[in-house]
Amino acid sequence: MSEMIDIIVDSQTYKVENGSLLIDLLIREKIKVPYFCYHESLGADGNCRMCMVEIEGQKRPQIACDTLVKPGMEIRSTGANIEKVRTNILELELINHPVDCPICDQAGECSLQDFYMDYGLHNTKVTIAQKVKHNKHIDLGSNVMLDQERCVLCARCTRFTDQITHTHELGIIGRGDEARVSTMPGRKLDNPYAMNVVDLCPVGALTSKDFRFTQRVWFLKTANSVCHGCAKGCNIYIDHNIMKYKDDVIYRFRPRRNDAVNGFFMCDEGRLSYKELQENRLISPLLNGEEIDEKEAIVKAKNLIEKCKNEITIIIDANLYTEEIEAILAFAKELGARVCSPKEIYMDESFQDDLLRCANRAANAQTIERLGIDTNEPNPSNLIINFNHPQDFKATSLISFLTHNRPCSGLSLPIAAYSENEGTLTNIDGITQKCEKAVYKNKPIPTILEYLQKVRA
Amino acid sequence: MSQNMREGSITSDRIKVTTRHGNSFKDKLYLPAIYDGVKVTFKHLFKNLNNINEIDTMRYPEEQPQDISSRYRGLHRLTHRADDSIACVACFMCSTACPAKCIFIEATTREDGKDEKMPASFFIDTLECVFCGYCVEACPCDAIRMDTGIFALTGNKREDFVMNKEQLLSYKGAFGEECSCARD
Repeated sequence: MSEMIDIIVDSQTYKVENGSLLIDLLIREKIKVPYFCYHESLGADGNCRMCMVEIEGQKRPQIACDTLVKPGMEIRSTGANIEKVRTNILELELINHPVDCPICDQAGECSLQDFYMDYGLHNTKVTIAQKVKHNKHIDLGSNVMLDQERCVLCARCTRFTDQITHTHELGIIGRGDEARVSTMPGRKLDNPYAMNVVDLCPVGALTSKDFRFTQRVWFLKTANSVCHGCAKGCNIYIDHNIMKYKDDVIYRFRPRRNDAVNGFFMCDEGRLSYKELQENRLISPLLNGEEIDEKEAIVKAKNLIEKCKNEITIIIDANLYTEEIEAILAFAKELGARVCSPKEIYMDESFQDDLLRCANRAANAQTIERLGIDTNEPNPSNLIINFNHPQDFKATSLISFLTHNRPCSGLSLPIAAYSENEGTLTNIDGITQKCEKAVYKNKPIPTILEYLQKVRA
Repeated sequence: MSQNMREGSITSDRIKVTTRHGNSFKDKLYLPAIYDGVKVTFKHLFKNLNNINEIDTMRYPEEQPQDISSRYRGLHRLTHRADDSIACVACFMCSTACPAKCIFIEATTREDGKDEKMPASFFIDTLECVFCGYCVEACPCDAIRMDTGIFALTGNKREDFVMNKEQLLSYKGAFGEECSCARD
């Protein structure tokens, strides 16, 4: 099977594995081919018929997603013939489509819209009144909304629940015009990966209830990042936007393809973790619950550190970027402080499953281990400097660098969250990945590196 | 080739070199030009003195213009459907098309069963607006129009010029066509 052969696509020769799917080659080589039902993670289904190509020696156009490459194949992916075929199939897909793009959240990232601009541009022969009516806005559960009218019956969602999660909630029921995606009566879509069907759906049939009507997708800016929900380190896109006169806000996380880590998917908990990230942020320095000036706070911190020298314990959150952890270690060395990162609080066996979710909820736990940082509880000490560790600690004096507001005695200083900062993380399998800075706040909160510089000065 | 062009400068058929005016003795004297200008002024003065009722200017604001056409882009309004519900579905086409970025919409789920989506809030900052009419062009629902015939807005503070959804819905069309024509 691994024999490499030459095939010709649009009079260009490509090397490809014998017996692999033709559409994989077309996608890999970025040769434009429209498709709804094929997905690299779900395999070929061959029901949408959009990916038609002409194969030399075959009478009729063939679907690329279910054609295995053979030696000496000659493929044409463009030309008047094939474009006419695609236009006709697209017209068929659009027969019962309600064309409610103005109220559809998928508008802007919808395959139907893209293909219509590429191959369609035909006048419809069916009026809105003649179209078959189905149910709109059905709450499927797990934050997924279903619109049966917009569906093109590509069966990606049903194949996802069959092949990936093995929960089999979704199915296509009815025949002909009556065919529609649905759950079993009385059952809901209920699995920890359910919202991936929203990304899988090429049209607006499945949309996210969480993202529903919050933004049009063409306003969003995207940054590459890594989910901080657990030690797996699923690759994500952070979609955010600054509305005029407002601050930078994250609107959603989407999984980013990385075959070495998460494939195409991410869990719902990670996907919705953007809310927690933005809510209840610590914005100004606090001294025993009272707001104080930043300069004053840094002077206070310096004095405390000076006073308690050699009796300091520094506690590091295992979610921080590697660069930050290393800088804190260097800082601790200067002070002669003990460093630890208690790991008990991160462990959550109930979160683990055999797909992506991992029991260790600390995104950079591997780095803590690599740098040999003590993962036991800290010994009692005079001054504890806590770098965003979720646990509460008791000490004579306490300096906490926190992203989020929480009841804390002593001095609390706000630090930038991971979306407002860049750095690298090493996941549980030892893969080091970079997170881009996504969010640019109108009033930026200093990062740990900036604080360390200020405290040293 | 003109003398003004330096050697080695770009020459092409597309460059048109015009001679500089104002170098003649008549131009430098200025007086003939002043005479030409004042002649026009006095011509109009005597013409208007002879027939004071046919002056082309208007005693605004006591007298209001009566010749605003239906194509005039006045203050915006949000239209209603035939059943008196709001026509806007908060698709953000207008705010996407807006070159001044002066339309601020917040969408929400529509509960009246007529559609799925509607604006929770809809603001137009008319101080930022350039009255280009792109929002009207972009609207797929005929929900925003500039046919109120209102050409002058007054207010005591800047906030008075930011129109909210209720204000925009309350304006009436000045040229017939009250409801949205997008649907029945």
